[in-house]
Amino acid sequence: MAEAAAPLTRPHLCGDALEVDASGRAMLIGGRCADCRSETFPRVPVCASCMGETIRPQAMPREGTLYAFSVVHVAAKKWKKPMRIGYVDLPNGARVFTHLEGDDLAIGDTVEVDVGTVGEDEEGPITSFVFRKVKR
Amino acid sequence: MKGVSVIGVGMIPFGKYPDTNITDLGWPAVKAAIKDSGIDARRIRAVYSGTARGGAMVGQRIMGRLGLAGLPIVNVENACSSSSSAMAQGVMAVSSGAHDVVLVIGVEKLTKFGGGTLPLDEDDWEVRLGLTMPALYAMRAQRYMHDYGVSLKEVAGVPVKNRKNGALNPDAQMRKEVSVDEVLASRMIAAPFTLLQCCPTGDGAAAIILASNAVARELSTDPIEVRASHLTSGRFMSGFRDMTSPEITVRGARETFEESGLGPEDIDVAEVHDAFSIAELIYYEAFGFCPRGEGAALLNSGATSIGGRIPINPSGGLLAKGHPVGATGAAQVVEIVRQLRGQAGARQVEGAKVGMTHATGGGISGFDHGACSIHIFQR
Repeated sequence: MAEAAAPLTRPHLCGDALEVDASGRAMLIGGRCADCRSETFPRVPVCASCMGETIRPQAMPREGTLYAFSVVHVAAKKWKKPMRIGYVDLPNGARVFTHLEGDDLAIGDTVEVDVGTVGEDEEGPITSFVFRKVKR
Repeated sequence: MKGVSVIGVGMIPFGKYPDTNITDLGWPAVKAAIKDSGIDARRIRAVYSGTARGGAMVGQRIMGRLGLAGLPIVNVENACSSSSSAMAQGVMAVSSGAHDVVLVIGVEKLTKFGGGTLPLDEDDWEVRLGLTMPALYAMRAQRYMHDYGVSLKEVAGVPVKNRKNGALNPDAQMRKEVSVDEVLASRMIAAPFTLLQCCPTGDGAAAIILASNAVARELSTDPIEVRASHLTSGRFMSGFRDMTSPEITVRGARETFEESGLGPEDIDVAEVHDAFSIAELIYYEAFGFCPRGEGAALLNSGATSIGGRIPINPSGGLLAKGHPVGATGAAQVVEIVRQLRGQAGARQVEGAKVGMTHATGGGISGFDHGACSIHIFQR
């Protein structure tokens, strides 16, 4: 008997910048320059601080601070509306542009990374990393 | 380095021209600038043509249509700073002595995209993830209001002022005055921005003829001298940056003032890049017209209205005159030249001797903006 085909999974919009472990825990993977040690998100092939080309994958801190955000009503059809987007500052110095979840967001909130659905097109749901407010 | 002057300007009224191609948007502005200068079109030695989304060889198409091709033509793309960057190239060509008379064009047709926000390049990380220009400026606004305790009602005063100015400008796309209540009640685009806090989408063209001061004295009765011509790019910063103070314009302003020996107190009138309401307040501060955090107070004082201490965007700015992106920088120059010549009609800034233009843009990850070009003019 033929084995059932593995379900076709669509890559996250953000590609390998997001890893989700078996328990469903999301982690952002940025880059760390082997020469000058600066950490950036996303990971790119060359370092903007020293032009080094050895940029290793580096797990980013999972929590950060919401620097600014907007609730967007006019954007391409594929995005879930209203589209909440913002910048999250991570304790390692990286700033992450991200979709946000939750309708009680405020500047300065502590937010944490998760995986979420940010839109939908003809190929189905579009998934990416999202940040949402940490409830303590 | 030779001195450079503007000897002719022309533009078409900004608006929606869905049935006109970009070539036919462009040539009437060029012809108007030539007529305004009074020179023989064959005196033009080179052309610098700016468009952001107009496609290839737009300068050649326009000059070909007028039967004036066959000279060096350079097409410049620098997003919303395309024609202000073309202007900087034109000034450099004349000041270096390479050419004594050049033409600068700015032209754009945004109606071809059928409305919505300005299409951005999906190669860019943040754009691919969903960033739009209104959302980018909206985040600046949210942070600015948070940091300085400024209300949205105060920010909404910018489009009220600029629509009032635009109502006096026959070349403006939006010619109806609006109230603060109307601004705040208009359709939500990207919080805190309602529709009337965003520049309209549209089409347009503007053109400028530059000459060396020596040639200008010979050919022109009313030349306007270029006192500073500055172009820079944003600095890439992958980490934290202060979105309430635009690095590229703060640095550009400082360098422009150093180059000209002038300061903010010397500027009588300015056209700045008010793509969204918050931008104008942030630029008051970037140019030193007021201290950080006091942009709304400066606006409320009336200082930046026509008749005030430092009138800003008497043309209506991007919010009212319109923002066909690649045409904007050239059209700002047209406005300032008309102001300094005393030809601005009902929106004339009385006694203006020194004027400034500022066009910045390019939404790319890690940059405040991609490009910024600033010019100062003196009669």
